[in-house]
Amino acid sequence: MNALEARQEKPLPVLRVEAVCKSFGGIQALNDVTFDVPAGSIFSLIGPNGAGKTTLLNLVTGSFPADSGQVVFRETMLNGRKAHERVALGIARTFQNIELFGSMSVLENVLVGRHVKTRCGFLGAMARLPRTIGEEREARSRAMELLDFVGLRDAASQRSTDLPFGWQRFLEIARALATGPRILLLDEPASGLNAVETSSLAELLEKIRKSGVTLLLVEHDMSLVMKVSDRVLVLNHGMKLAEGTPCEVQANEAVIAAYLGRDKAGPRC
Amino acid sequence: MRYLFFIAAVLAAGFLTSSPYKLQLLTFIGINTLLALGLNMLMGYTGQISLGHAAFYGLGAYTSGVLTVHYHWSPWLGLAAAIVLAVAAAFFIALPLLQLSGFYLGMGTLGFGMIMFVVFRQMSLTGGDSGLVGIPGLFIGPLSLDSPRNYLFFVWAVAIISIFLCERLIHSRIGRALRAIHDSERAASSMGIDTGKLKVHIFVLSAVLAAVAGFLYAHLVSFISPSSFDFLVSVRMVTMVVIGGMASIWGSLLGAAVLTVLPETLTVFSEYEMIVYGLVLIVIMILLPQGLFRGVLDIYERAGSKAGKASARSQG
Repeated sequence: MNALEARQEKPLPVLRVEAVCKSFGGIQALNDVTFDVPAGSIFSLIGPNGAGKTTLLNLVTGSFPADSGQVVFRETMLNGRKAHERVALGIARTFQNIELFGSMSVLENVLVGRHVKTRCGFLGAMARLPRTIGEEREARSRAMELLDFVGLRDAASQRSTDLPFGWQRFLEIARALATGPRILLLDEPASGLNAVETSSLAELLEKIRKSGVTLLLVEHDMSLVMKVSDRVLVLNHGMKLAEGTPCEVQANEAVIAAYLGRDKAGPRC
Repeated sequence: MRYLFFIAAVLAAGFLTSSPYKLQLLTFIGINTLLALGLNMLMGYTGQISLGHAAFYGLGAYTSGVLTVHYHWSPWLGLAAAIVLAVAAAFFIALPLLQLSGFYLGMGTLGFGMIMFVVFRQMSLTGGDSGLVGIPGLFIGPLSLDSPRNYLFFVWAVAIISIFLCERLIHSRIGRALRAIHDSERAASSMGIDTGKLKVHIFVLSAVLAAVAGFLYAHLVSFISPSSFDFLVSVRMVTMVVIGGMASIWGSLLGAAVLTVLPETLTVFSEYEMIVYGLVLIVIMILLPQGLFRGVLDIYERAGSKAGKASARSQG
């Protein structure tokens, strides 16, 4: 755990959420939530259904604005920035219900991810300038690398929605990585995966972290969360219930009462 | 290769046809191809419906018509003005309209089409209901495009260049982004695509193609009236895209051809013409929901793979 603590002491968090509130109609989805995501960590958000985890993710990616509070990415204030601008800054995401581009091949899906890293516009595409051709070639080779990275190289030319469910999740991750993020937000990546797929997901998450990308994970699969996370934040009714290392959180009485239950509790480390 | 074949087909059709009626019919297919192509970029690829595209078709026709008839501009300056005006109108209308989606976008563009129709009818410059007469023909330097054959080649040159450019656009970063918006706008914006901006841009492109088609139409027939740009024309454009095949550039060509030739050949049914016309469209949609182009290709491929399997079995 020493190495891990050293990592947490790095000065600049990659993402800082400060006193964020959000309500929908009369429902307070998030109430004064504050936390830092340390650079290079795997940071998990857990909590019962309706605790506000996905809302928090959507606030960070810019799907809708916060009522109050602020989100800071490295040194950039995100408030008021549109979703697509945040991607260019280095924030990528996947969706709880997989949202692949169904009319496209596996490779094309990842190529769409290269959008922010390429430049050509309408005229460039029509004129097919040497620069456009070079850019396209580079995008393709990078996309193939990423398919290799998640183990989908052989499926490159298949239609994306023809892939088995678990592979679709991996493809969505590859597509998000293609945007060249510094932080990747994963919304329940293990849901619908079988045990084998979940364990290869855990390996993949480690691999992504090693490549220098910070991970923010919303997840219900506790064994996955406790295995891969450096830090865990527990949300309950839109409020922060606890935050700490997996061990600390698992030992926390309030967390056990609200979410984990007795059988999953207890310090194991 | 495909383009060489295509150009050869146009040349052959042009030189082998001598009847002015048939030459003009082929020319109309070219003009309608431009309309269908532009709308397909918007509807088929990007998934944004427009039920008011005849407005841009009319805008192109009337802009160049009015400027050449009343102000004696050169038609080419008229074309430039038509394009500029179409771009401006499309920008102006797209900014609020493309915030809408689905049915609402359909209704919004429908309203725009209606407004433009009223404008064409009410303005004194456009000649109102009785139309605009005496629109001059086209010249390229000393070469007159007055003969039906020359005009046919000119229209098809424009159509082929447009198809070529649109095909390049589709197979590019921008084309992928457009298709991404069609598949899932949420996911597209999570890929860093500025979906709002891109939707406006593709709307403008499709408006320009419609305006160019309007220009070609006006200088071909030399007389235009509001009824050539009414709601039914917008619907016919949508039908061309759907019949030919959504998200299929070559399908636009096929859809335009079918919807141009079919009404002409159906006149033998005289008063039952519209019924037969409707039936043909229904049957196509039921049998080939992907559109003619994709549908026929699928049948061909299926037949091919069946033949392949049969021969493999006989060998095994």
